[in-house]
Amino acid sequence: MKEKERIDELLAELAVGTLDESGQAELKALLENSPEALDHYLDHCDMETWLTAAGDTLRAPNFATPPEFALTQKNQRPTIWWKAAAAMVALIAVALVIFSSVEKPDLEEDPVVVEEIKEPENPVKPMLVADATPARDPWKVINSTGSVKHPGLTEAAVPKTRKADRPVKFNRDIRPILSETCFHCHGPDEHGRRADLRLDSLAGAAEDLGGTVAIAPGDLKKSEAWWRIISDDPDELMPPPESHLALTEPQKALVKRWIEEGAEYEGHWAYVAPVKADAAAIESDWGKNDIDQFVFARLEEEGLSPSGEAKANTMIRRLTFDLTGLPPTAEEVVAFESDYAKRGEVAWQDAITRMLASPHFGERMAAPWMDQARYADTNGYSIDGGRHMWLWRDWVIQSYNENKPFDEFVVEQIAGDLLPNATDAQRIATGFNRNHMITHEGGTIPDENLTNYVADRVKTTSEVFLGLTMACAQCHDHKYDPISTKDYYQFFSFFNELSDKGNDGNAGKNAVPNMMAKTVIVSDELVGLEADFEAVKADFESSEGGFDEWLSAMQSKEADRAKAFKIHEMELLDVSSPNRPGPYAVQEDGSVLVSVPSKGMNAFSHAFHLTGETSLNGIRVRFSPHQAEGAEAAVLTPHPDGVPKITAILISAGEQPAMQVDIYRQLKLVEATASSSAPGFSPEGVLDERNLHWWKPTEKTRDEHLTITFDEPVDPEKTPYLSVMVFFGQAASLPYHWRVDAFSGNDTESVLPGAVATLVAKDPGSWTGPERKSVLDTFRKMEPSLEPKRVRIANLQERIDILTKPHSTMVMDVAPKPRETHILDRGQYDVKLEKVSSNTPSVLMPLKADGKADRLDLARWMVDPEHPLTARVAVNRIWAMLFGTGIVATSADFGSQGEWPSHPELLDWLAVDFVENGWDQKALIRKIASSAAYRQDSAASDEIRELDPKNRLLARGPRFRIGAEFVRDQALAVSGLLVPRIGGPSVQPYQPPGLWKEVSHFGSSPATKQVFVQDKGEKLYRRSLYTITKRTSPHPVMAAFDAPNREMCIVQRGVTNTPVQALVTLNDPQFAEASRVYAAKLIRETQSLDERERLVHAFREITSRAPLDSELNALGSFLTDERARYEADKSAALQLVSVGDSPPASDLDPVEQAVWTQVSSLLLNLSETLTRL
Amino acid sequence: MKNTITNEFLKREAQLQTRRSLFANTAAGLGGIALGNMLNGESQGAIPGRLDVAGQKSGEGLPGLPHFAPKAKRVIYLFQSGGPSHVDLFDNKEFLEKHHGSDLPASIMGGQRLTGMTARQSSFPVVKALWGGKRCGDHGTWIGNLLPHHQTIADDMTIIRSMWTEAINHDPAVTYINTGSQQMGHASMGAWLSYGLGRENDNFPAYMVLLSQGTGKNPGQPLFSRLWGSGYLPSSHQGVMLRPGANPVLYLQNPPGVSRNARRRLLDTLGDLNRQQAEAVGDPETLARVEAYEMAYRMQTSVPDLADLSDEPDSTFELYGEEARRPGTFAANCLMARRMAERGVRFIQLFHRGWDQHISIKTQLPRQCQDVDRASAALVKDLKRLGMLDDTLVIWGGEFGRTVYSQGELGAPTSGRDHHGRCFTTWMAGGGIKGGYDHGVTDDYAYNIAENPVHIRDLNATILNQLGIDHGKFSFKFRGLNQRLTGVEEAHVVKDIIA
Repeated sequence: MKEKERIDELLAELAVGTLDESGQAELKALLENSPEALDHYLDHCDMETWLTAAGDTLRAPNFATPPEFALTQKNQRPTIWWKAAAAMVALIAVALVIFSSVEKPDLEEDPVVVEEIKEPENPVKPMLVADATPARDPWKVINSTGSVKHPGLTEAAVPKTRKADRPVKFNRDIRPILSETCFHCHGPDEHGRRADLRLDSLAGAAEDLGGTVAIAPGDLKKSEAWWRIISDDPDELMPPPESHLALTEPQKALVKRWIEEGAEYEGHWAYVAPVKADAAAIESDWGKNDIDQFVFARLEEEGLSPSGEAKANTMIRRLTFDLTGLPPTAEEVVAFESDYAKRGEVAWQDAITRMLASPHFGERMAAPWMDQARYADTNGYSIDGGRHMWLWRDWVIQSYNENKPFDEFVVEQIAGDLLPNATDAQRIATGFNRNHMITHEGGTIPDENLTNYVADRVKTTSEVFLGLTMACAQCHDHKYDPISTKDYYQFFSFFNELSDKGNDGNAGKNAVPNMMAKTVIVSDELVGLEADFEAVKADFESSEGGFDEWLSAMQSKEADRAKAFKIHEMELLDVSSPNRPGPYAVQEDGSVLVSVPSKGMNAFSHAFHLTGETSLNGIRVRFSPHQAEGAEAAVLTPHPDGVPKITAILISAGEQPAMQVDIYRQLKLVEATASSSAPGFSPEGVLDERNLHWWKPTEKTRDEHLTITFDEPVDPEKTPYLSVMVFFGQAASLPYHWRVDAFSGNDTESVLPGAVATLVAKDPGSWTGPERKSVLDTFRKMEPSLEPKRVRIANLQERIDILTKPHSTMVMDVAPKPRETHILDRGQYDVKLEKVSSNTPSVLMPLKADGKADRLDLARWMVDPEHPLTARVAVNRIWAMLFGTGIVATSADFGSQGEWPSHPELLDWLAVDFVENGWDQKALIRKIASSAAYRQDSAASDEIRELDPKNRLLARGPRFRIGAEFVRDQALAVSGLLVPRIGGPSVQPYQPPGLWKEVSHFGSSPATKQVFVQDKGEKLYRRSLYTITKRTSPHPVMAAFDAPNREMCIVQRGVTNTPVQALVTLNDPQFAEASRVYAAKLIRETQSLDERERLVHAFREITSRAPLDSELNALGSFLTDERARYEADKSAALQLVSVGDSPPASDLDPVEQAVWTQVSSLLLNLSETLTRL
Repeated sequence: MKNTITNEFLKREAQLQTRRSLFANTAAGLGGIALGNMLNGESQGAIPGRLDVAGQKSGEGLPGLPHFAPKAKRVIYLFQSGGPSHVDLFDNKEFLEKHHGSDLPASIMGGQRLTGMTARQSSFPVVKALWGGKRCGDHGTWIGNLLPHHQTIADDMTIIRSMWTEAINHDPAVTYINTGSQQMGHASMGAWLSYGLGRENDNFPAYMVLLSQGTGKNPGQPLFSRLWGSGYLPSSHQGVMLRPGANPVLYLQNPPGVSRNARRRLLDTLGDLNRQQAEAVGDPETLARVEAYEMAYRMQTSVPDLADLSDEPDSTFELYGEEARRPGTFAANCLMARRMAERGVRFIQLFHRGWDQHISIKTQLPRQCQDVDRASAALVKDLKRLGMLDDTLVIWGGEFGRTVYSQGELGAPTSGRDHHGRCFTTWMAGGGIKGGYDHGVTDDYAYNIAENPVHIRDLNATILNQLGIDHGKFSFKFRGLNQRLTGVEEAHVVKDIIA
């Protein structure tokens, strides 16, 4: 075939390095466009792959006599290997030439020892296109974080040691290999075990299996497992080819050495209680405390040395971010710099003390804990209605701030309700295991749901506190760790005794069991709050500014009421109510008749065609009484109070007929009036889509109507189609008969309450005192310029209620008649096997319980000082927070499949020390932050980054992008917008419209949290851990920066870098507003500075360091250009400085403010700003 | 290099082993890496990315992928959320016509788990395809009359009538088919593909998602971000949603008062400062971030350009229907999918809600079908017209089917059909799948599978296969397990349907 030949020619040219650019392009095009060519090319690749494998066997470095050894083994392959190996080398070169994409250390480590290749040591290196600028991937994962989501981490996260002669250690070197490649079939799972062979214990491995043993310690030749591992017979090879598992050459070499050295087994390290090694025994002259001894010893082992200390400004920025999640102010940086220069260590300790004492410390610590505890503000699953668990979140914040010892922190969350004389706070704490998802979806099976909930508690509890992936044993014995299905269900039993229900949590009500309690947040803000509230209220209640204008506007509005009012009938194209089972019909006159109005919630969609040319100002929904068969009289609805209840109306207009309202093009509705309104059910209620308020008329036996006015008239010539959705979102609210018409001109009803409308029509001079007050009250309720005050009053009132009133939260309890627990066959809720009672996994220390074990026994077992896991997992979590990666990188898995600790002795030392110090978390943090390891400079040479890309050896300071919450918090803090209140219900800051509606059950049920309504005032500027978490539609800013959706426990987040993040920090109104508010603040605070000084000031405030001259020059030139730009386009400047809800800085020149807004935005987007250095 | 290797030599050696046995033995090697890069690094010139210092390939996609020559370069998945009625649309039988109204025999129903919706029903009357249908295409396959445009593309598609799933409720079922597990926390198919194969171009993400709401049942069953989420994979692989309106991608527009020139100027300075820092402290992540900002900048024009239909001739709307002019409709999303495919988006997934016809199927289903029928068929025709159907795999189907028996009283206007996972229908077209082919047969009642069952895992394995991926080898280690899109249980590529 022609293409194939051409490909071969091109490849051959490549092989000898003569393929020019156009040839490369041709080759690339061929491969992309011709499946045949690609196939052919892949054939070559296949061979190369095969040769690589074949070559591996040949060249394994530790084999005394490489080729013979391999070839004596049932080897059927001919000597053609030699030629083939040569071909392989050529192909490697080919690949490198074209694509230069191969990591070179691999090739250097395993030089191909092949006779015919006389080319020097490394035939490959010269071929690398070393100068090609690497293309950076804009969507990539940041490697240095060591997130568990990072694929590379589990493979080779701990750098290969340079010391080849380190003795083989089972737990460090061998267990991970066997676990990965053997235990699935030859591990702890009895049922899944093949060939009766168990390789996770010496007894199993060395057992005589009819003449053969898998592993004969010290005797490679008698070890059948070894022969199987290196076999080239697919029938004999282990692991079998279909498993897609294989040992690498270095792994084989290790296994070989291990067998030869006696095949010593060790118990899994994490199940053995830690022992505190003597740090002082390590000789080193580096470091500040015991931690550094261990770090240094490890570095020395690798022939590395630690980095120097970071600059003081970097140190304080790092510490402030790590312990409070906020940046330091420029003043704090300067103060620390000088303090540190003067007082050194004392200054650093003082800084740590200050951070640990900050109320923001608790918030910072709560953020990752909320991930682990899968905290959310909605129930999850499909309907995803609202719930209230913020009392629990506040308990976490408060506990951290109080430095509650970790053992108490654990006991109260696991079993606070079972403590003697449990306090409200201790019961609130048990919400930890109620944070899981809950459903009330019709059609689901309650027993199955309950099983899911308990399984979630087991999974979360075991991962978060014990570093055990127990969930694996729900369906079968754990494949890798010694946890049987029975162990699993015994553990399950602890959490299966609640009085919870399988279908619960509808309509925003917390599922049972729940309780009412006050927040545990200790705050001194109440006095100030109440004073603020009284002052703002008094101010508001005396506000008369603008009253005259309002009154005259109202007078003319009243005078013009009904002016040119005209009803326009619309052509009704369609009516539908998909969730309503009963019939409804369109009458000849275009009205809708429901013969049997149902009792449940309903929503009706209407599609209209608009005719005529008159612009339409709104719609009117008219309800008419109907006399049902056998009824005594005509009424609006057959339901008890006889009147319809309308909770919301949605309208969209478009160029096309649309049976449903287009949620992306909804019309803004500004006024709602009605023919009559029952007290407390005024028509404005329908303008709020949340089903919280509704309108109902007073009379059931006469026509009634509701009128809605658009903010902009609809032009039927431009958008001749209207869609109207009317919600009867309450029980027993559906009427018999209605029609929808459009109107032009002015509404016939007044937007004012009846009495006020009458007064407005009179001479104000004639008003009595009370009459004047009623008009003024209406003015204050309606006047737009008073909105900030109204918002402030509402927010202050809410805040006072948060701090003083009881609120609902879900808790744990023990049902009067607890459910029994059975082993479930393959985890299926309805296939019950043996009955079990509560107990802990047998591989770990035994549970101490008097009589029947309960959750409190479990909790106390977890925090027993002898427990091998709890303290290790806890200190590892704190370490991971401060270094980006834990000492055990797989923070949620300390089992067989978890990663070997980078510093095992250090981990154990920290764990024992932690318990000895009364589980004092602040002391632990202080200890780590005091180490020299923590204070190292994070800059790194190419060499050290290449050697230890994930910085597992800590030859440099850790560096990683700050978390989602802190990215936003920083912008708020820098701009001064941040409202630093602690705790309370979650808030709803800016979010693009429609996100919830486009996925939710909106309109179908009374479930809450289906419609997002943005908060106002201070609630826009709270710290991000208070941003509402809706599980099915997480806030896009949080999601963009890797925050999980909280459907399940996440012990450590990934850290990525994507263009979407850039769009957020450049364009999200929250960030744009922060930039313009910061710009205004900057201009005001630095009026005496010249432009360059002001730039320096801003740079320092945002990055915590002074700019270099080159940076300053670049910024200066940017500033000049932006000034020219905005001077030429002042309207653009005005637009930019008006972003967001906060009041405009109208005293400042908009051009200057816009220019500095751009500078602020730039500085807030610096990579350095978003990175914790 | 002194050894000159001739192509004859290469060829001879290559013939020594078949590809299959080679692949069985080893992980993919250098050739695979090279190819992976080659297909990914489009805009980076002929010598695309290389491994950066941290060992991660910057051109994206995994080394070694695809495992073999792909038939499809991209996928358009028209996911029909809620459970379309296979009985009414694809799987009617004469037998049902005859037995309309009779009770479903217990022998057919077996000991099946029913949802809470119909578990307490006392009788289970069989309901035939309510609107009839006809034999279409050269092979005379049956397609319901509610899908008249589908009836015209029968020769281009494989209809799989023997799909099945264990799940019987929406949340687990829709999660299962999209992520390979009924439990949360797993990566969606699109995220897997983005992770494995990377982007085809540098102006769009590899995985984009469009949502629409059908008129049959509004609101339809909810959707969840996990369906296009990245699970345990890095979140950079989660689906990026394209929305109707002025901001097709969230936060795409500059703040008011910031022009494109102003943004360019800002990015130039930002890049300058970032590069200075990266050099000073040796930080490749900062350079990666510069690149991310540049792609964000490109997306600010590439995405609006994608979403702007003004360059489409009227014939487009004759094909897709006038509804395609209305942003946010399924028809508009189908057209958008074609435009994305043209621009090299690798995995395009539409989620269309409203297929949950428990009640009033007689009024709901025709509306629901009308929303999707014309545009779904138009997409296939359009791709074919453009010569793109060969390497674009189109998939149409939901998370399960619906019961042959009536939910509610037979014939009542309020009656409908319940969820049914034991068999349902999915169709595929293009991307190396046979045209004019039927796969799998259900029993007389369209209730159980009689021949060639295709589990949803098999479907997913087949999709991966068409993209050159061996599903068994495509895994990601998380919490100690090798996670796969096809899960831990067996999955098989459905070879019969491959062209």
